[in-house]
Amino acid sequence: MDVSSSPPQPPDGAEWPSDWLRATLGFFALRALQAGPSYGYAIISELEQHGFGVIKGGTLYPLLTRYETAGLVSTEWKAGVNGPGRKYFALTPLGRTELSRLSADWLRFTHLSTHYLDPERQTKESTT
Amino acid sequence: MMQETADRKWFDDLVLELRLRQVHGSAIGDAVASARELLGDTGQRAEDAFGPARDYAAALDLPAAPAHHWVRTALWPALLGLLAFLLFNQAVMAWVRSETMLISPAQLALLALPVVLIAFLPLYLTAVIRRLWVLACLAAVCAAAGLLSAIVAPTEQADAWLAIEPLPWVVGTAVVMVALSVRNTVISRRPGQDDDIADPLSAAEATGGVGAKVGVVIANWLFPLFALAMLGLARTLS
Repeated sequence: MDVSSSPPQPPDGAEWPSDWLRATLGFFALRALQAGPSYGYAIISELEQHGFGVIKGGTLYPLLTRYETAGLVSTEWKAGVNGPGRKYFALTPLGRTELSRLSADWLRFTHLSTHYLDPERQTKESTT
Repeated sequence: MMQETADRKWFDDLVLELRLRQVHGSAIGDAVASARELLGDTGQRAEDAFGPARDYAAALDLPAAPAHHWVRTALWPALLGLLAFLLFNQAVMAWVRSETMLISPAQLALLALPVVLIAFLPLYLTAVIRRLWVLACLAAVCAAAGLLSAIVAPTEQADAWLAIEPLPWVVGTAVVMVALSVRNTVISRRPGQDDDIADPLSAAEATGGVGAKVGVVIANWLFPLFALAMLGLARTLS
């Protein structure tokens, strides 16, 4: 999941509103696993590279634990060759289905929001 | 060095908080190893990466044993052992001196106090573990009750509420203590029955080892060992 151009950043170097991240982090984490199994730090780096800021372990791990309990992800510990052992998270078939559903719903929602917030549409409304 | 100390304290707190939530040892081992893995990757302090240990333990929301499982499996047997030990202590001195065991109501009430305090432990266990002074107070009250029960023990049969033959009580309570120790030893040696914190990679017990196993055996036989010590003391004093 390489980033070909730099991702959009929040204005003035601030962070995205925490409410937005709270609402979306779940399926962003599932999306980060779409390419294959990954571990905590790699997921955090992936989300950071895509412009979502630095997600704390205290936020990510409870989320992944809930997903594991819900059967959306499976886990496996693998011994590191030169480094520490790592816990790999992988999407289950149920997790893939949930990711597809949430992604489609989110795209519909953002389309609706973008349309509603469109300045041209607002101008048209105020003139009529 | 300071970071290591702070992180060690944070991990100790995390294990404690997860234990208080009745999370199984293998799940605790997994949570600890995951946290260590991330800290190894980021170089962050545990508190910075995960927040306070108590909040993180709550946020993980790991599957836990039924709320009062430990009460049935651990507390009630321990309480029975304590009761047997206290009664043994009352009976053994009279038996060694070939006297009748004399009991007054005040003595009985003082003996019952530690038993009642331990029986209600589930109601205030969290406070005992989180605040050292509560544990110190509990230990002091139990010790004081034991000491006072010896002081108020009647010396004359006329002052006694009950006068009973001590030998059956010595034998009966000793049998109860030994039976409970055998039960606990059998349970702790049964495969899959331990609740030790295990490293998910090596499946080795992080707190295991010979020392820990000896500690478990000694803990299982604590009341019979103390009872033997009391018997020795009674024979020396008589």
